[in-house]
Amino acid sequence: MPAGGLATEALLLGISSGPVCLASCSPVLLPVLAAERKSVSGTGALLAQFLGGRLAGYLGFACLAWLLGLSLNLEPRARILVYGLCDAGLAALLSAYAFGLRAAPEKSCEHGCPASRARRFSDRYHTFAPVSLGFVSGLTLCPPFVAAGVRAAETSSLPLALLFFAFFFVGTSVWFLPSVSLAVVQRFAAVAVVARFTLFLLAAWYGYAAVIILGRYFLHA
Amino acid sequence: MPERTLRAAPRSWAKSLLLTLPILLWSLLMFSRAMMQPGRAPKLAAAVTLLFMVALFFQMVRTFQTYRWRRYFFVAVGFLFPIGFIWDLIALRGSMSIPVERMLSGDTPFCFMVIPMMIVPAALFGTIVFPGSILATASNPHAIAAMVALWMCATLLLGKAWCSYGCFFGGIEEGFAAVAKKPRIKKLDPRLRWMPWAVLAAVVLLSAALLEPVYCTWLCPFKTVTEYMQVRSFETAFQAAIFVVLFLGLVVVLPLLTKKRTQCSFLCPFGAFQSLFNKTSAFDVRIDRARCRPCVLCEKACPTLSIGAESLESGQPRLSCMKCGACVDACVRGAAVWHIRGTEVGPSAERARLMHLYSAWGFAVLFGGSIIANTLEKLFGLLV
Repeated sequence: MPAGGLATEALLLGISSGPVCLASCSPVLLPVLAAERKSVSGTGALLAQFLGGRLAGYLGFACLAWLLGLSLNLEPRARILVYGLCDAGLAALLSAYAFGLRAAPEKSCEHGCPASRARRFSDRYHTFAPVSLGFVSGLTLCPPFVAAGVRAAETSSLPLALLFFAFFFVGTSVWFLPSVSLAVVQRFAAVAVVARFTLFLLAAWYGYAAVIILGRYFLHA
Repeated sequence: MPERTLRAAPRSWAKSLLLTLPILLWSLLMFSRAMMQPGRAPKLAAAVTLLFMVALFFQMVRTFQTYRWRRYFFVAVGFLFPIGFIWDLIALRGSMSIPVERMLSGDTPFCFMVIPMMIVPAALFGTIVFPGSILATASNPHAIAAMVALWMCATLLLGKAWCSYGCFFGGIEEGFAAVAKKPRIKKLDPRLRWMPWAVLAAVVLLSAALLEPVYCTWLCPFKTVTEYMQVRSFETAFQAAIFVVLFLGLVVVLPLLTKKRTQCSFLCPFGAFQSLFNKTSAFDVRIDRARCRPCVLCEKACPTLSIGAESLESGQPRLSCMKCGACVDACVRGAAVWHIRGTEVGPSAERARLMHLYSAWGFAVLFGGSIIANTLEKLFGLLV
């Protein structure tokens, strides 16, 4: 198939299965956008970082699969491992992000007091949080991602597979754009508190899911 | 109409009876069918329920007090609902637990708690994330459509008063909250009042991602006294353990220690969702700032942390107010008053209270009254 036809197919696949991608990534994306309380442009920038991370996850997974000579239509056991690791990653990243959020930004110490190591780590991590969360979300094997992976694996070369994933990503991303409208809630201070609590609850959920999935994987090794 | 204060003399018997007449007629209409059924148990159950509901309304009218009398009804519903529900489950399948096969075949009774979780998956995928039946069937008469319609009508009229007159779970913790004379734990972090919103956000997002009712599967404390998935694996055992811990913690122990409805205040996502409909309801509670001397009696009396310093300043409780009337009854100055939207605060407060009570109690007779009557019928069936 010519590259143009493949790109169109990937775009249409992305647009048609986008709601599932949105539902799959929303538990990570929406609380982050709400917690930051930014303007429309600031929320848009956060969304772009998240989507950038997600694209990196998509393409990275495609490259890895090609390098390892695997089909993306993974064996069920390998798929369970990917699910478990992604859930563990999301739990760790979400809780680190939620711990790093503060109700009001702290003033820097006038006397140059050293911040605690944990605080420095969380401040540094905070900058990269949307990208890293997007990256791990991109690795999560949601059904449309697997469908795209199977189709991409049928292409004859790695560049064509990457092209397929890139256009698939563009198609799904259309569904994410309305989430910029979360900027309208920025004037409500309570939204940030709710979003932070939500991040902790979701981190606990993903942590529990990781323990169950990885436990099942290793117990039945 | 006389203005209500805590020390107001009771209304006359004649006037109170006259004002109770509409509820008496409505109750007769509601329970007439049960009274015509063969056997003594249904008749007796209907008659007792009718007398109970009418007598409570009469007392609310006569004494100008709402919370105390409403609580008798609400606690009765809270404790009788699980008895009737478990009774039916034992009769139907011999156990409180539901096997996964029965669940997948749509035999799960529908509960209003799922409504917020259904919205996003229904909008995105046209899928209802609940294994019950949309219309009533022989094996499951608790249809999703009927419950949603009933909830919608009550909600548009009453707003979050659903949580004071309709929820058949809230009465259990209100009962436990009423046991102690004074709270052992007096200080609660006010930020925790946002927890139900966080739980709501988490369960709505996860329900859309996983296409399952996450709150029912993982977090509902009331599974302990209703129906839970049959324990066959570590996962279902863990779920059952969560239900029991949440029930004992938030529905029994913390209400005993704090005299608050802690499950409603700190967990219930449905309550958070229901709060939004306080904006559509015609009735609310206001604080007349001209009369208020901030003695914070209303704040202490509120069972759901719906009154804080900013409420006294702005003259209205928080969005989470469930219109139980505790603050109005506690206010010795008559500053906390019932109010109809679009009218002046204060002058016609008693009229607003009565208007609210007619609609709320009318619904209570229809919904909670039928729950009481059904369970009483089963219990009387053992005796007569």
